[in-house]
Amino acid sequence: MRRELGFSDALMMGLSGSIGFEIFVLMDYAYFGLAGSSMVLSLLLGGLINLLIMFSYCELSAAIPKVGGEYTYTKAAYGGPVAFISGCLRWLASVFGASLAALVFARQLSYLFLRVSPIVQSVISAQAPLIAIAVIIILTALDVKGARKVGPMIVITFLALFAIFLASGLWHGLTPPDVIPKPLPEGLSGVFAATAYMFPMFFGMRALVAGAAQIKNAEKNIPRAIILSALVIMPLYFGVAYVAVGVVPLGDFDEPLLNLAAENLLPGAGGILFAIAGMVASLSALGTSIAVQSSIARGMSRDGYLPKILLSVHQRYGTPYVATIAGSLFIIFLSAVGYVEFLGYAASFGSILVFALVNLSLLRLRKKRPYLKRAFKAPLYPFTPIAGVVMSVVLLVSPIFFGDVNAIGALMSGLGLMAMVLLTYYLRMVGRYRVQVALGGIGLVMGILTALLTYLIETGFVPIILSPVSRYVLIFFSVVSILAGLLNVTARTPKIF
Amino acid sequence: MRITIKVIRKAFAAAVGVAQSTMGMLAVIAAYILHSDPFGLRAWLYVNTGFPVPLYVLVLIVFGFFSITSGLFLITEDEESP
Repeated sequence: MRRELGFSDALMMGLSGSIGFEIFVLMDYAYFGLAGSSMVLSLLLGGLINLLIMFSYCELSAAIPKVGGEYTYTKAAYGGPVAFISGCLRWLASVFGASLAALVFARQLSYLFLRVSPIVQSVISAQAPLIAIAVIIILTALDVKGARKVGPMIVITFLALFAIFLASGLWHGLTPPDVIPKPLPEGLSGVFAATAYMFPMFFGMRALVAGAAQIKNAEKNIPRAIILSALVIMPLYFGVAYVAVGVVPLGDFDEPLLNLAAENLLPGAGGILFAIAGMVASLSALGTSIAVQSSIARGMSRDGYLPKILLSVHQRYGTPYVATIAGSLFIIFLSAVGYVEFLGYAASFGSILVFALVNLSLLRLRKKRPYLKRAFKAPLYPFTPIAGVVMSVVLLVSPIFFGDVNAIGALMSGLGLMAMVLLTYYLRMVGRYRVQVALGGIGLVMGILTALLTYLIETGFVPIILSPVSRYVLIFFSVVSILAGLLNVTARTPKIF
Repeated sequence: MRITIKVIRKAFAAAVGVAQSTMGMLAVIAAYILHSDPFGLRAWLYVNTGFPVPLYVLVLIVFGFFSITSGLFLITEDEESP
């Protein structure tokens, strides 16, 4: 890959990665459900924590300017299972983020029709998950065909839109919101929970790190671009949130916060403008996430962690269609669930864990490879990476202490997925043949037990009445499981995938 | 292509693998339907309030993933023998 991009391109990558669809959805629950107007403080806190973490990214990207980002850093620092875990977490965060983007598109479309045609809006609102699925399928097909995506023009458009929003807020003479959480110190848990929930608003900056191999003079340009992106994003988000909570009172609203605020500031046009912007941002993020998850899966397949079939390239379009479609199936499944708050937390937690691993990798590499050339060094080492790890842990647990059931559900799901990830890694180490024989044994037992159960029900020994359909389903299942079990047990394929 | 026992076995294993993976996917979908009740399908399936939904969801998910994995192993079984 040739290094053709300069500092301004790197900066645009960082900004275009950051300014995305998240601002159109995550502030809603943070404001109406978690922290109220203190949500503004949460964004400030999130920005500062992000800056801490980005210092570690800066040092690592300057020292190891290779494709792969977090996966490359953790592999260099720890190798083996930790790199695999960070790759999986990054993949999961992309998949959850993509599902959220699809749902945001449906939501913004619903809001647009609320202004244009309320009858159509009620239908769209009820079928939001279906619309999200349709959008995912279309974008997956476009990705397989190799369609080019909209690039940095979105950044300039959004910056202009937010500038209009902020100017309107100042012109409107909004009532300054009270951002101090009350009561203290209990109100702080809501602030931290909102920080964790809205943290994905800052994630996109690391898109710059992923493109490190294309940037000229990477050792200097990447750290500068990351820091400048962070310094632009923080006041922008703070200002937008400050204006939004200043014009929209707390209450029971179904519409997105930013759309409501824009409608209050620019009646007749503001809400529609932001709905269109939200839809564009969602589509762009969804397309990017589908490509990112495919790229991560292929990277791990190349290293032998996942099946080689994921490296398959479409004969006609030259795109990684297997990895794209496989990931999109997960995205569709998650979008069908339709729980925006759950997906917001899930996307956040996955990335926060990756951030913690990156900070730990920085600490380890300073010890393991002290003579590695580092054009940029994280200031106030070791306090910066240690603070990054500590704040990551705080962000992970604070919504739990707040008692947010969405966060608890997301964390439990995350832990379950992590267990599966570790199991997958361990099984890969054990080898395909042993896993196949073990699965065969389990299948054989399942099939025999089901056949036995069906027989006992039919003979009246077990007092359950089965419909004819259920009976045939159970018989079919027993036969297939027994056959599959025998075939797996007698397999002769000792190779690992 | 010479029809050998290996070829027959591979074709048969692939067919059984497809059937098992399909069964597994249907089980996961059934678990989702039981849990989330999209479009009011629970009522259509006569699932009443006393039905132990969480237990069946867990059983279906575990069975589903075992079946999908086992089926995939059969479908991707290597032709080479040791």
